[in-house]
Amino acid sequence: MKALEDLVALLSRLPGIGKKSASRIAFHLLKADESFARTLAERISRLRESVRFCSVCGAYTESDPCPVCSSPARDRSILCVVEQPQDVLTIEAGREYLGLYHVLGGLIAPLDGVGPENLHLDALERRVRTGGIREIIIATNPTVEGDTTALYVKKILAGTGAEVTRLATGIPVGGDLEYADRLTLARSFRGRVRL
Amino acid sequence: MIENLRFLSYRNIADGEVALSSRRVFLVGENGQGKSNFLDAIYLLCFGSSFRGTRDSEAVRKGGSIFSLIGNFARDGMKESVCIRFENGKKTIRSGDKPVRDRKDLVARYPTIVFCHSDFEFAHGEPERRRFFFDQTASLAHPGYIDSFRDFRRVLKTRNLALKGKRVNILDVLDEQLVTYGISLSERRQSITTEFSGVFSDNHEKVSRIGSRVSIEYRPSWKFVGDRGKALDELRRRRPDELALGTTLSGPHRDRFSFIEAARDFTTTASTGQLRLLSLLLRTAQADYCTRVTGRAPVLLLDDVLLELDPDKRSRFMETLPDHEQAIFTFLPGEPYETYLTDDALVYWVDHGRFTSKNGC
Ligand SMILES: Nc1ncnc2c1ncn2[C@@H]1O[C@H](COP(=O)(O)OP(=O)(O)O)[C@@H](O)[C@H]1O
Ligand SMILES: [Mg+2]
Ligand SMILES: [Zn+2]
Repeated sequence: MKALEDLVALLSRLPGIGKKSASRIAFHLLKADESFARTLAERISRLRESVRFCSVCGAYTESDPCPVCSSPARDRSILCVVEQPQDVLTIEAGREYLGLYHVLGGLIAPLDGVGPENLHLDALERRVRTGGIREIIIATNPTVEGDTTALYVKKILAGTGAEVTRLATGIPVGGDLEYADRLTLARSFRGRVRL
Repeated sequence: MIENLRFLSYRNIADGEVALSSRRVFLVGENGQGKSNFLDAIYLLCFGSSFRGTRDSEAVRKGGSIFSLIGNFARDGMKESVCIRFENGKKTIRSGDKPVRDRKDLVARYPTIVFCHSDFEFAHGEPERRRFFFDQTASLAHPGYIDSFRDFRRVLKTRNLALKGKRVNILDVLDEQLVTYGISLSERRQSITTEFSGVFSDNHEKVSRIGSRVSIEYRPSWKFVGDRGKALDELRRRRPDELALGTTLSGPHRDRFSFIEAARDFTTTASTGQLRLLSLLLRTAQADYCTRVTGRAPVLLLDDVLLELDPDKRSRFMETLPDHEQAIFTFLPGEPYETYLTDDALVYWVDHGRFTSKNGC
């Protein structure tokens, strides 16, 4: 059955979905109420039309500027620099951070052909030099490329007067030292703080 | 302990199972029969790569398109299996029913030390070979070393690419990175060399009987280990040359290790026999050092190594053989391997890839 096979092939291209799960999903769609499949198809096609990038910070949004950028309740003197738009959602879900964001759209990774010119770094510099920003928190992942990017951001913002900090990494709360993986542990030692 | 191995379409080794359930296994056969291939199969199961540095595709039996190897291990009453399959140009490793994604997870599981002909290069060869030896020793003893080593290599590769592309805008940042990861690697190398040298010198004194101690010195490219400022200065000073050549000229990838006897470089004056023994005893010390640090004795694979020693050194070497969970030796039929037989030793006659037990079972 070509229709079924085509769908399974498409579904198995989704992250985390193998051939087996793909056919389970396809059969489920065949069995389920007809309106479910139609609604799902509609939502998927509407997603790309309604969700865009915020022209100020680069986060996913349905209205431009995004709710964070346009909220009067946010602290406009703090900027959190992240790699991907979905990182904004992750941090927002924590409800801990009350400043603004800036999405870089990637990390400096010359081995993968990505240089500073491929990221939204000019826009970041412009935002900071326009003034009013007191602190930049860099929230890139703790990898070689994440570190390189963080150092680069610090370098281009030198002399703006804004303080540049980096998110701490370490043992997860509620996690047990015993079960922390080796890399996390090594990093926690490097990033240890004075008491 | 490795209990048995199963072969399918692997080099010239006959398909089927070979039992190894003994602490000492002797493989006896003429040249070219498959003894080293057998040891390489074990190495592949424990390290995920060949000790002879051949590509996976070369292990496929001539005329075939796949190979598969299964090793059944027993440890503390627990049984485990590792399976390596090469198919469609791709190698997959599984431990039990779980895929092994990173080779470093294998290395920690079944520490294995191979003694082979090309070890001579550690005593007398390019500095890269010595770095390889010490990096391997460190990785076997301290799993975290592998991460540190990989991070450094990644930054180095990135920086070299930036130098070639004359991407001056990111070089300052990559200098910082190279120094951060490089110093961490260099500090580890320094402390490991000190510990390792102690183990090595004792063994060497016992077996070589040259009447003086040979110790190992770490000669880092950035001379002041741990000094960020000096390392950064060095990078800054040589940057014009580096931009012209498109490569990083200083750092841990240029580190050296020297063998010192009476304040002189031992390897420039030593005889060929002394250099052979030195390379052998580096492996002995590697095994001893790993056992000391991890508390776990390795599997030893000894490929034709006794052949190269005179009878006296040979027996002293066998007497100082490091602690092992299992040792597998290869011999030519003319060698007096009977001298080293123990009651529980298993002897295989190797002929055209077939392994026949000489113990009558
Ligand atoms: N992929 C392969 N297919 C078939 N034969 C192979 C393959 N790789 C190596 N061999 C054979 O294995 C033999 C060498 O075996 P080796 O284990 O090195 O011998 P030795 O017993 O001297 O240690 C050679 O005859 C070589 O042709
Ligand atoms: Mg051989
Ligand atoms: Zn926004």
